[in-house]
Amino acid sequence: MNAQLGKVIGLNGYPLSIVVAVILHTVLLASLLYLQGVSQTQDFELVQPTVIKALFLDENPQVLNQQKAERAKGDENRRLAQQAEYERDLANQKLRQEEEQTRQRIDADKLARDKAAKEKIDRLKRQEEEKKLEERRIERELAARDREAGAKSALEDSEQPPAGASSEFELIQSGISLIQQLVEESWSRPPSARNGMRAVIEIKMLPTGDITSAQITETSGDAAFDRSAENAVYSAAPFRELQTLPIRIFNENFRSLALIFQPEDLLN
Amino acid sequence: MNQELSPLQLILDATLPVQLVMFILLALSLLSWVMIVQRFLVLGAAASGVLSFEERFWSGMDLSQLYKEGTQLQAEDVQVVGIENIFRAGFKEFMKLRQQPTVEKEAVMQGAQRAMRVAYSREEEKLENHLSFLATVGSVTPYIGLFGTVIGIMNAFIGLASQNQATLQVVAPGIAEALIATAMGLFAAIPAVVAYNRYTAQVESISGSYITFTEEFSSILHRQVYGG
Repeated sequence: MNAQLGKVIGLNGYPLSIVVAVILHTVLLASLLYLQGVSQTQDFELVQPTVIKALFLDENPQVLNQQKAERAKGDENRRLAQQAEYERDLANQKLRQEEEQTRQRIDADKLARDKAAKEKIDRLKRQEEEKKLEERRIERELAARDREAGAKSALEDSEQPPAGASSEFELIQSGISLIQQLVEESWSRPPSARNGMRAVIEIKMLPTGDITSAQITETSGDAAFDRSAENAVYSAAPFRELQTLPIRIFNENFRSLALIFQPEDLLN
Repeated sequence: MNQELSPLQLILDATLPVQLVMFILLALSLLSWVMIVQRFLVLGAAASGVLSFEERFWSGMDLSQLYKEGTQLQAEDVQVVGIENIFRAGFKEFMKLRQQPTVEKEAVMQGAQRAMRVAYSREEEKLENHLSFLATVGSVTPYIGLFGTVIGIMNAFIGLASQNQATLQVVAPGIAEALIATAMGLFAAIPAVVAYNRYTAQVESISGSYITFTEEFSSILHRQVYGG
């Protein structure tokens, strides 16, 4: 059976497949043409559009006027009814207001009497409390005076971020100056560095203070100088202190940062 | 004005570039169908060959006898397909190397494996043959058809420009003729793409079974070499 199949297929099956392909195409073409022929024999029947007749109907002007007048009368009646209702409402409101006022006056008298009684008791109480408070205050003052010396220095150290825009600015400033200081410390200038050279490096940081990339965006023209600047950035990183910054401030100011390397203090 | 607007008439009346495009598309479609049918036969034979040969191989038959049967079939001018070729290449090399007493065991194994690897890559090449043609037809014929359409519509509009009174009857045949080119392009492309995807998957599965067989057969040979 295998041998038979092999004979039919023969030559890797090319002859058979060519025959199949040609037959397929001719069949398809023939069927297409046939279908086209069939569809063409069907004649289209012209569909007559239905005619719509439009007529203008003249209305009797007398009847129209009468109708208008009736409608106007109905409107007038309704308006009058509304006004009457409105007036009734107003009168009711006035009555209610007067009642309210008399009730308030009675209440006020009562309140005044109660208040006078209460105040007497309160005054006595307050006097006692004031005495106690005075004693406590004196005690506190004594304790505070002892602590004062230590507290002063503590305040200076803690650098609590005060609220407001100025504190944000201070935070940014301190972060930038920190980076500046760290980078400066680790920057060793090559012997080819000259005054007036300028290289700009753009660094990209993560909120952890790690550097993801440092690219030279403006070269100084001296390869060694550029490389030294780049090395300085990489060896100064990571800036762990930036972790303490609020994430919003970090994203706005430290995500990408341009560092300018410019030796000014050289002698030559 | 010709009232009959049959596709055949349109094709025959078409301008020369459009006719040329249509001819190219027809030829490509024919060729791609030849490839589709031929690949169908070849891949089918390879897949059934894997099944039948593995059945014989694992039936416990003596391997040298299996080899002899294959030689006999070849003598009768019946093509040995796919997996059996790999087996024959490996076994032949193995026996040859084994008969030489100076060759070490490791070298015998390596030689047999190398022979099988060569046979495997040759077989894989046979399977993948023409598949790239199908892929090309599938991706290019729509563009060729589109090209024909654009040329045809251009001609239709050029004809329109020379008319004083532009009517639909003037442009319609030109556009219809142009659209036939696109239709033919799609007609050629769709089967080619379908066949390409189908056959790539099939080739992958067949060559996967070739690799597995190669591994299994070499482990058997390994046992024969070292197991005494």
